[in-house]
Amino acid sequence: MTPDWTGGNLVHFPGKGGGEPEEIGDENTILIQRTLRSGQSISFDGNVVIIGDVNPGAEVVATGNVVVMGYLRGVVHAGAGGNENAAVYAYCLQPTQLRIANHITRAPDGEQSYQVGPEVARIKNGAVIIEAFQNGPERQR
Amino acid sequence: MLMGEVIVVTSGKGGVGKTTTTANLGAGLASLGSRVCLIDADIGLRNLDVVMGLENRIVYDLVDVTSGNCPFRKALIKDKRFENLYLLPAAQTKDKTAVSPDQMRALCQEIKNEYDYVIVDCPAGIEQGFRNAIAGANQAVVVTTPEVSAVRDADRIIGLLEKEDLREPKLIVNRYRYHMVRHGDMMSIDDIIEILAIDLLGVVPEDEMVVVSTNRGEMVVTNNQSRSGQAYRNIVRRIKGENVPMMDLEEGGFMRKLRRMIGLK
Repeated sequence: MTPDWTGGNLVHFPGKGGGEPEEIGDENTILIQRTLRSGQSISFDGNVVIIGDVNPGAEVVATGNVVVMGYLRGVVHAGAGGNENAAVYAYCLQPTQLRIANHITRAPDGEQSYQVGPEVARIKNGAVIIEAFQNGPERQR
Repeated sequence: MLMGEVIVVTSGKGGVGKTTTTANLGAGLASLGSRVCLIDADIGLRNLDVVMGLENRIVYDLVDVTSGNCPFRKALIKDKRFENLYLLPAAQTKDKTAVSPDQMRALCQEIKNEYDYVIVDCPAGIEQGFRNAIAGANQAVVVTTPEVSAVRDADRIIGLLEKEDLREPKLIVNRYRYHMVRHGDMMSIDDIIEILAIDLLGVVPEDEMVVVSTNRGEMVVTNNQSRSGQAYRNIVRRIKGENVPMMDLEEGGFMRKLRRMIGLK
């Protein structure tokens, strides 16, 4: 569902030297404003933004990025279908299992990380890396 | 070729300890060297993986296997502690109608060729989940607690099992509190056997260690200090055909013996 009222996803920034219109976001995004509980799952072709928590036993599968504005404790799969550039952002990232494209990771047994603050998981050099979410230019790959 | 036994653990009533029993029997049998595969048939309310601490390893589940998305070997999760203990987890985001009794029968048939014991954790209730779980079984273990409601449901379940040709199910009485029975506040083993009239496989005393282990993703059967662990170890040996006497259910058995030794009683 490409919303065509943005002019086919093209936005013109007059301040940027008035050059070519810049293309932003080429995927669909769905906004979910509730907590996903055990047994509930979201599967979406595009990005998923969740305003709420993802509890253990819940599952989020997206072909694009996943953003959780809350606790992410369930299973999350970003870049399903093979997009290695997809990332998972969460206000509190404690997933049961985290998958990006064809990579599957989980927390080591017996270790519980209590990192506070937003984090991002993405693939760097062929491995899933979790780091603190940095605002600013650094967040761009 | 190996031809294992398929044992279904069922109860009718919820919360009496089917999942705990399944996990402990599996771990107990595996610790004695048997090759064991546990199947969680409680689709939509899966717990066995959590109790065993294997939740974060799940990639494929029972529904993926029965619907032909992946071979069962690929879906099996190896236990952390026992080399020869495997789990086939239930699906959490589907419901019980995603699997049919015929599919379960075929799956159990396939798995039991490679394992000594296949133990199926049955969901509560007598609907399709129950019918799926018992479809492939050739033996049944009925779990009950010493409560009228649980025993009533166990009786109903035994009737249904017999109808499905699972004759001579074995009974496990869970959460038995000796001091309450002594005061006449709880049904005794004899009361229960009188109603259900099936063979007793074992009695597991109420034990806080079960809660502690379950929350840690461990199995109490591996705990040498715990009385319920001892009860499960005895049950496991009985399943393997040994003749093990019933344990002393009296609480504080050790202190009682000590008191008698020093002449206080």
